[in-house]
Amino acid sequence: MDNLTDLPNSDGFFGEYGGKFVPETLMHALKELDETYSKLKNDQKFIEEIDQDLVQFVGRPSPLYFAERLTDYYSGPQIWLKREDLNHTGAHKINNTVGQILLAKAMGKKRIIAETGAGQHGVATATVAARLGLECHIYMGAADVKRQSLNVYRIKLLGAKVHAVDSGTATLKDALNEAMRDWVTNIEDTYYIIGSVTGPHPYPMIVRDFNAIVGRELRKQSMEQFMQYPDAIVACVGGGSNAMGIFYPFLEESNVELIGVEAAGSGLMSGKHAAPLNDGEPGILHGAKSYLMQDKNGQVIDTHSISAGLDYPGVGPEHSNLKDSGRANYIAVDDVEVLSSFHLVTKLEGIMPALETAHAFAALEHIAKNYKSNQHIVINVSGRGDKDINTVATMDGISLD
Amino acid sequence: MEYLLIRLEDKILSLKKASKKALVAYLVAGDPNLDSTLELMHGFVDAGVDILEVGVPFTDPIAEGPIIQAAHDRALKNNTSLNEIFELVEKFREKNTETPIILMGYMNTFLANSHALKEAHTFGADAVLIVDIPGESDLEGLGIKNKNLASISLIAPTTSKDRISKICNCSSGFLYYVTLRGVTGSSHLDISEAEKKINHIKSQTSLPVFAGFGIKTPDDAFNLSKISDGIVIGSSIVQMIHEQSNQKEFKKIYNYLHEMSEAINR
Repeated sequence: MDNLTDLPNSDGFFGEYGGKFVPETLMHALKELDETYSKLKNDQKFIEEIDQDLVQFVGRPSPLYFAERLTDYYSGPQIWLKREDLNHTGAHKINNTVGQILLAKAMGKKRIIAETGAGQHGVATATVAARLGLECHIYMGAADVKRQSLNVYRIKLLGAKVHAVDSGTATLKDALNEAMRDWVTNIEDTYYIIGSVTGPHPYPMIVRDFNAIVGRELRKQSMEQFMQYPDAIVACVGGGSNAMGIFYPFLEESNVELIGVEAAGSGLMSGKHAAPLNDGEPGILHGAKSYLMQDKNGQVIDTHSISAGLDYPGVGPEHSNLKDSGRANYIAVDDVEVLSSFHLVTKLEGIMPALETAHAFAALEHIAKNYKSNQHIVINVSGRGDKDINTVATMDGISLD
Repeated sequence: MEYLLIRLEDKILSLKKASKKALVAYLVAGDPNLDSTLELMHGFVDAGVDILEVGVPFTDPIAEGPIIQAAHDRALKNNTSLNEIFELVEKFREKNTETPIILMGYMNTFLANSHALKEAHTFGADAVLIVDIPGESDLEGLGIKNKNLASISLIAPTTSKDRISKICNCSSGFLYYVTLRGVTGSSHLDISEAEKKINHIKSQTSLPVFAGFGIKTPDDAFNLSKISDGIVIGSSIVQMIHEQSNQKEFKKIYNYLHEMSEAINR
């Protein structure tokens, strides 16, 4: 087996997954991006600039926090939280955008576009674009514009334009389609900041690398705080960027179990979910080969999740390879479990997680019993839940008007 | 079975002999329904279309503008599948054995039916044009191209010179030059840039080069025909099909195609 850390190969493949399945017009831009990134990623000045932004603008390192009451509640392993929710703008997404905006600057691009589901990537992109004074357009499914209205307003306050996408299912996948179309049309002056480890090569690699700061910090913090690497790391997976960021620096540590948690929506058996790694087949969407929710004719099927950020039929190609290789395991939890976990964590720890993140917490119900009290589980708290209070209130039958 | 690939080559040769430019017309199979598609395909040929491009609908057609996207959606509402499109081609061949048919679509619908492309020629399809795959990929290794099925590659204004020569080397049938940066149906046609690029492509290959994307009027068609071996029309026809689909009065479309056919051979 290939050394997992060395992937993707030069064609952008993680095993059989990944690649560049895009319209011809984009091929040159992808090559240009690949070359720029290959050059800059080892450039001392570039690295220092990003490191400085991560410390002074984002607020890194994010703490590794011992969740005492949650640990007591499950009376199993020691539960630790990697607090990405404490980053500037409230989620891990900013780690990627501070890096990619510097790539855009190095390439002389004047216009920034991005897709967003939950709106966190939209906010993180609008934030870095505002900071550099660049024109910014955010594509967002019309259904998500409705359920994440708080983030939509934040994006507008930051000076970016939000384009509500009505086509298809009016969610994240359609926002991605529309962002790709914008990019094809405005290829000369536009940089596309993809928000997850999805899309054509080199994006899955770039987004992973910029998020890998999370896993690198965890290596150090776990040694300092509990004198070993974690026994297991748990992260939610939509496209999979927060999971990939925390998993990647541990790929070669075979004693560290890696657990991704997908959105089972109304339940895996219902077919109304967003769990391609649990219940999908390999296919090609948005430029890469990966597990995909599709019918027998190769049409992408509608997904469902309470969480806009996970409501996506595909998944990053590196996760598909980690699944097939057995290096990571992927489970799924449904909307009901997620909502109850959201309340549990909020009440026990005083931390209100994003509904995406609540999937990782909900996994504890299934896996906590498998670990002993001297073992350590780290949950990646990918984002905070303020944006979701409307959804939670609606689910609980409470009106906020 | 070799003769099937020859249908496309025969057509190109006969156009060349007659010093005629090719008129390629696109429509989405199953929009508004498969019976109309069949009727339209025959009507197109009668109106002067040389090669038919039959769109295979996909849920996420990222290279298409709003007009063709909507057509894909309508075709999918009718549950139009690749297998039904093969049947459509087979039916078309009952009356027409000469007009080449290119199936144009996205990789995932073809992959999902991995036997599909091996059998495509037996139904009478001559080539595929897969929008979301780089032209220099190992098309045979991916199971896309075979001895009975050509694969048409796209070249864009942004395609670099070294990739143009690679793409030319692994192409068959003809090359499709995308005349603008953008999705189908856009309107930023730049004839002088297209001319430069097409001349360069022609220096790299003996295959004909057709131009498409953004062609709307007979004047667009005339201008592009002067610098290429043929033109491809898509969005404007798809729009007309949609407008006419209720009364099933396709004559307006045939008149338009006839005008285009005359314009390119002016």
